[in-house]
Amino acid sequence: MLAIKMLLRGWRGGQLGLIFWSLVLAVAVVTSVALLAERVERALVNQSSAFLAADLAVSSSVPANSEWLERAAVDGIRTARTASFASMTYAGEQMHLASVKAVESTYPLRGVVKRSQIPFATDASVIESVMAAPQPGELWVDSRLLPLLNIELGDSIDVGDGTFTVSQILIEEPDGGSSFSMYGARILMNWQDLPVAAVIQPGSRVSYRFLMAASDTDDGSQFARFSEWLGDELTVHDRIITPDEAQANIAKTMDKGRRFLLLAGSIGVVLAGIALALASHHFANGQLLQVALYKSWGVSARRVRQLYLQQILALGAVGSVAGLIIGWGFHQLLLSAVRDWLPLDLPMAGARPWITGFATGLLCLIGFTLPALWHLPAQSPLAVLRRDIQVASLNSAVRGALGVITIAVLLFWYSNNAYLTLAILLGFAVTGGASIIFGLLLLRLGKTYGQKMGSIWRLALANLWRRKKPSLIQMAGFSGAIALLMIMTVVRTSLIDEWRWQLADDAPNHFLVNVASYELDGVKTLIQRRELNTAGWYSMVRGRLTHINDALPNEDLKRSHESLNRELNLSWTSALPEGNKIIQGQWWDSAALEGPVAESVGLAPVSIEEDIARELGLTLGDQLRFSVGGLVFDAVITSTRSLNWDNMTPNFYFLFPEGYLEEYPRTYMTSLYVPSDKKLMVNELLRKYPTVQVIELDKIIDRIRSIVTQITRGLEMMTLLILGCGVLVMFAAVSLSMSERLQESAILRTLGSSKRLILGVQWVEFSTLGLAAGLLAALGAEFAIAMLQHFMFDQAFTWHPWLWFVGPSAGALLVGVLGVTYSRKAVTQPPLQVLNSL
Amino acid sequence: MIDVSNISKQVSTSEGTLCILDQINLSVKAGETLAIIGSSGSGKSTLLGILAGLDTPSSGTVMIDGQDITAMDEEGRAAVRAGHVGFVFQSFHLLPGLTALENVALPLELQGVSDALKTAEHYLQRVGLAARVTHYPRQLSGGEQQRVALARAFACRPTILFADEPTGNLDTGTGEKINDLLFALNEEEGTTLVLVTHEKNLAARCQRTLELQAGRQIALTNGSQH
Repeated sequence: MLAIKMLLRGWRGGQLGLIFWSLVLAVAVVTSVALLAERVERALVNQSSAFLAADLAVSSSVPANSEWLERAAVDGIRTARTASFASMTYAGEQMHLASVKAVESTYPLRGVVKRSQIPFATDASVIESVMAAPQPGELWVDSRLLPLLNIELGDSIDVGDGTFTVSQILIEEPDGGSSFSMYGARILMNWQDLPVAAVIQPGSRVSYRFLMAASDTDDGSQFARFSEWLGDELTVHDRIITPDEAQANIAKTMDKGRRFLLLAGSIGVVLAGIALALASHHFANGQLLQVALYKSWGVSARRVRQLYLQQILALGAVGSVAGLIIGWGFHQLLLSAVRDWLPLDLPMAGARPWITGFATGLLCLIGFTLPALWHLPAQSPLAVLRRDIQVASLNSAVRGALGVITIAVLLFWYSNNAYLTLAILLGFAVTGGASIIFGLLLLRLGKTYGQKMGSIWRLALANLWRRKKPSLIQMAGFSGAIALLMIMTVVRTSLIDEWRWQLADDAPNHFLVNVASYELDGVKTLIQRRELNTAGWYSMVRGRLTHINDALPNEDLKRSHESLNRELNLSWTSALPEGNKIIQGQWWDSAALEGPVAESVGLAPVSIEEDIARELGLTLGDQLRFSVGGLVFDAVITSTRSLNWDNMTPNFYFLFPEGYLEEYPRTYMTSLYVPSDKKLMVNELLRKYPTVQVIELDKIIDRIRSIVTQITRGLEMMTLLILGCGVLVMFAAVSLSMSERLQESAILRTLGSSKRLILGVQWVEFSTLGLAAGLLAALGAEFAIAMLQHFMFDQAFTWHPWLWFVGPSAGALLVGVLGVTYSRKAVTQPPLQVLNSL
Repeated sequence: MIDVSNISKQVSTSEGTLCILDQINLSVKAGETLAIIGSSGSGKSTLLGILAGLDTPSSGTVMIDGQDITAMDEEGRAAVRAGHVGFVFQSFHLLPGLTALENVALPLELQGVSDALKTAEHYLQRVGLAARVTHYPRQLSGGEQQRVALARAFACRPTILFADEPTGNLDTGTGEKINDLLFALNEEEGTTLVLVTHEKNLAARCQRTLELQAGRQIALTNGSQH
């Protein structure tokens, strides 16, 4: 086929290289990100199911309805019931208030239980991962229960009325992260042993879970039907827990990582698109004479169109396939960076990423290359005789619009995120608009002031002004590339900083709660002796919420909401704690406290956490009655707050101003960092002060930290790929005006100009372009970053003064060096040779 | 072969209408050679463009092989060009990315000729460049480049060859050789040749000479030698 032959010759002639590689890069970027996103997504669904030990769970204060079990059995849904409660355990003289979880033999439905025969095992070779639960009569227990009860593996201990054998050390349970062990060491027992132990009595505080998972043969539809049915069956006691909720902490980090990947991928596509548009523009210019020749030989416009269309399609097909292959390779590379926290048998991706990649190639050609070549068939054959005759290319506004539409379609289809699409497009509009307005202004200023400067400057700045249109196109290309690279770098850096800050090496990983006044000094000494530091001590009062608006809470509400059944931690402060945000009402300051509202009715103002307010149906002005050790006081809700759980410092649902709770018996809490080698401190503490509650977050924090580290590594690699795209755009933009520049330089040399003058002119021209582009890029980037941080990454807006410095200087240097390197030919080769080769 | 009656060409400029060609009448028989001469800006190239169907006159008609190409649209003229016309240009117009052989073969391939490369090789041989078929234009001298262009023009077996200042970019010696080759090939192939030149001695080798001055036909004479 002639078109293929022409394509191959064109490739050999070097005119197609830039188009081809831009295309390949666009496809490769999209494919690699899409593949990675889909595979990780699929893995994460499995992974997050593991955090729940199920695909779905119902948490309840009552055992699962037997009807659910029957229906599940009929529908082929796998189920497991669990019950968690606190229970005293005994071994001889020793006793400990343990956190017991009874599970059915089918537990866990997803994920694995890690167990060992060696207490405090950390070495993977002695830890066994099983999808199994303890046999009846056996217990799997937390390592630290052994020293607490002074027992060995294989010994027997009493739980309630039953006696059981400790057969395994429990290292990790899949759903362990979702409920912090509040009552000391964990014990896993079999569901069938519940009647033997007889610990659950009417009125006992038990947290039940009904775990469900799709069977292996289910494509998800059966499970979906079942969960829909179940949704209608739930009562006020029941709450559905999805895998996402089970790991909200990690999900947030991974979600941001995923969003960044998407952003980087989108930026890569846009960059490759710009490179493609510039390269196509350049290619079309080089084809004008050729088409005129064809037409002088009698080739019809239709045939010309056909020939180019065939060539573009063939190029698109080959480029897309190459892009798919390279994209696959790159996704493997990215995967290897984040390998450790992904399951080994990562699910294969479906067809979608491949289709996305291939379609990107075609769409890019339709949006960027075809419009640039559109006018070619209309080229007049007379151009073979008269150089001044040239067909007008497709209106640049139309081309611009087509390019923007293509970018918008690509961005949206690819990211499925309107904010991201809008942010990048608006950033682009700002950069593009500014390029035209300020670009012209800058060029004009340059020309005016250039007159007063030396010959190099005068010539260079006059040149830029004379070539206004290509100069502006180049400037837009450079500034687009620089802006996008800036956006990516800033977002990446701020994300990583945010995570690092959250997860500093010594971030608190244990909470100590319920430390009585008389225990405080002892606990402090114990911590000091271990050379550990606390994040400061907070006072609090333990009290029950007994009445809402003078009435007892109704039974349904009481059963469905834990906080009405237990003692709550009430604390006081004058300043709004860090990370807390007032949602409704007003925070107190000294003036308001003396105001008439609270004083006149003799009520204490209280600020409550917004979720609890919503769940209990409380609003501003509602009155609450608290009972603290039999003493009763009333409060009025003056504000609701949101809390920040990321910073690992104590948070309180109920906060009072100073001066209201001080008279009640108080307890203390703190958070502290306990390194793994000092973990036994917890045992010592619990043995000495059995009523102190220890909340252990170390395992979950370790898990988050390893994930964050690897996501960060993935982001770094992605950044490199996108930098490659940026360089390609620069190349495309520089090559745009090169033949004209070389011709002029050759003529100047023929006229006797020095090498210094010619290179100097090129240097000034390119670095001025780069400087202006960098300045405009800083403007566009600042704008887009503000939007992205606000809408996509939940970050506060910050100025980036360095952009305004680095942008122009890096732009000037980069573009200058690239331009001069490219145009060195003009001074190293004899002028005649240069002219002949054009 | 070519019949031209009353063709004029006007273009509008900012200073009013400019007459580039004024009432040209001309007839060229098959196999005949015609030189169009005149000083710069006399309208030579414009006339050549119109004769070859690359451009249209403001008025008048041009018949090629009995077909009125001035009544045709661009596609129609393209079809006529495809069947009859070949070109040689002052600046050669070889495609820099193609070898000499590919440059010659390209128009044949576009016409769908099956053994394009073989034909091209044959014509390159005839212009004395058999040894340089794989060379790119930048590796060839000006004279060699124009010889490739001649091979390309004749390889399509046109009935009419239009040459626009074929030796205008070459030194005298090389130009002479190219002219010899042009006329030799023309005679062998029996092609009608219309060439534009400002060199009197080249014009003199044609059977007839049309002289233009400011767009007017001031003389149509028989050449001094043939």
